[in-house]
Amino acid sequence: MSRKKTPKSKGGSAPATSALPAAKGPRPVRPETARAGPEAPPNGPPQPGRSSLGGGGDIYDVAFKVMLVGDSGVGKTCLLVRFKDGAFLAGTFISTVGIDFRNKILDVDGMKVKLQIWDTAGQERFRSVTHAYYRDAHALLLLYDVTNKASFDSIQAWLTEIQEYAQRDVVLLLLGNKVDSAQERVVRREDGEQLAKEFGLPFMETSARTGLNVDLAFTAVAKELKQRLTKAPSEPRFQLHDYVKREGRGASCCRP
Amino acid sequence: METAGRAQAARDRVPRVDPYGFEPEDFDYAAYEEFFSAYLVILTRRAIKWSKLLKGGGGVQKSMTVKRYIRKGVPLEHRARVWMGVSGAQAQMDRNPGYYHRLLQGERNDSLEEAIRTDVTRTFPDNVRFRKGAEPCLQRTLYNVLLAYGHHNRGVGYCQGMNFIAGYLILITKNEEEAFWLLDALVGRILPDYYSPSMLGLRMDQEVLGELVRTKLPAVAALMDGHGVLWTLVVSRWFICLFVDVLPVETVLRVWDCLFSEGSKIIFRVALTLIKQHQAFILEATSVPDICERFKEITRGGFVTECHAFMQKIFSEPGSLSMAHITRLRERCRAKLLAQG
Repeated sequence: MSRKKTPKSKGGSAPATSALPAAKGPRPVRPETARAGPEAPPNGPPQPGRSSLGGGGDIYDVAFKVMLVGDSGVGKTCLLVRFKDGAFLAGTFISTVGIDFRNKILDVDGMKVKLQIWDTAGQERFRSVTHAYYRDAHALLLLYDVTNKASFDSIQAWLTEIQEYAQRDVVLLLLGNKVDSAQERVVRREDGEQLAKEFGLPFMETSARTGLNVDLAFTAVAKELKQRLTKAPSEPRFQLHDYVKREGRGASCCRP
Repeated sequence: METAGRAQAARDRVPRVDPYGFEPEDFDYAAYEEFFSAYLVILTRRAIKWSKLLKGGGGVQKSMTVKRYIRKGVPLEHRARVWMGVSGAQAQMDRNPGYYHRLLQGERNDSLEEAIRTDVTRTFPDNVRFRKGAEPCLQRTLYNVLLAYGHHNRGVGYCQGMNFIAGYLILITKNEEEAFWLLDALVGRILPDYYSPSMLGLRMDQEVLGELVRTKLPAVAALMDGHGVLWTLVVSRWFICLFVDVLPVETVLRVWDCLFSEGSKIIFRVALTLIKQHQAFILEATSVPDICERFKEITRGGFVTECHAFMQKIFSEPGSLSMAHITRLRERCRAKLLAQG
């Protein structure tokens, strides 16, 4: 779960009468161009369209849904917070229960792309609660922890789950997280590469702690999704695999 | 300026760490002080009444008087004893001396231990007693309680969310064994099977809430249907964590007072009250993320901070809610989920 910013122990952030956002004035109407639900078929083609009513910070051309999946404790929430806020939640985050999301708008080749990023609980039993959302996802980031062999061994099971519940054309990226912990690493980079190759997945190693390849992972996904939507037939196709390979940085060059 | 000055003054007066060890980062001290100075009067009055009721020691037995007293709030100093009494945890503990400690010395279970270890370090990082280096550090206590429970109830083992519940039980009882037996009362008896691998009870109760909303607040149900939002998306944390980290601590404890005494339908009362109170605000939502945001927003602010008034509301606002009706809805929803496979 995302860390609750409001006071948890003693309550309200405002006196009773002004406690709710209703008191802060009406909210801008934000048409969701890629929303789930009956208005748009699940994972149907997101319709580009500038939201003209949105407040200053929330104007975007197109929105996509990205989901973070992987075993409990591999760093899904930390990866998301690193991407969203550029910070690392050392010792101040709590385990995610259920499902939660955060938005971030990226500029991709001149287009404002809103990523609606869904963070999920990693424990296996929660899949019965979360897999209902797979079908609406345009992209999935599948994480394991390079210091935890079991999380790497679970990847196959996750892929089976994804195959069963996600859209066939979902963009999928395999990420080996926590590469800053070089001392405790038990999954070699080559192991990750080998597995990715076996399943035809683009692959990167990341560190939510140092930020290594974190922005890149989300940007790569945004680029791929944007181009699927807007590419003219004459344009060269965006190659997610090549992009990730070319732009991804090794763990060694970025260790603090 | 004046407001800032008032806030600063309140900040100086209100202790940084609350009675439970929580040290919130961003906190409206002025609003809290205003609320608490009024609540203190109520607390004092209740404390005197409770002291009379519990005079002479011994266990707390369920009765109409006790139920009425509990609805008005259990003072912190009696809370552990009252919870132990009305939930049946005390009776279980008395019947099974040494059982808890034997569980801790039982057979090893690597995957259970690993799952618990992963969450123990990320439970209440904003509580000084759960921080690494605290003396004693409650991370160890939490680990023990969860491990013992996993051995005790093998069908459940450990489920994420139980860490937050056990954490609160430890803060209130300050006693590992009592926390264990209260966790057993909740997970084993009071709640349906929320935490089992299929999470069927959780999914069932979310459906039940959906049905109750459909009858009592049809406009909200129509909004959810219209956007294709499943209830699990907005309320799973309410049920799994029993409002821990959703509502303010004091409010959660008041809800739990009634949960131990009256059972799981209290959860529906709280959920329905939150939704009903903010119905107009929820209905302004224009998209799925907007709905999600609003369901988070309604768990904050003065309405939930003022726990005494809030607890009165949960018994009046949702209207009648008989256990027979809940049981019927549960049976229907469970059958529906099982048919879906």
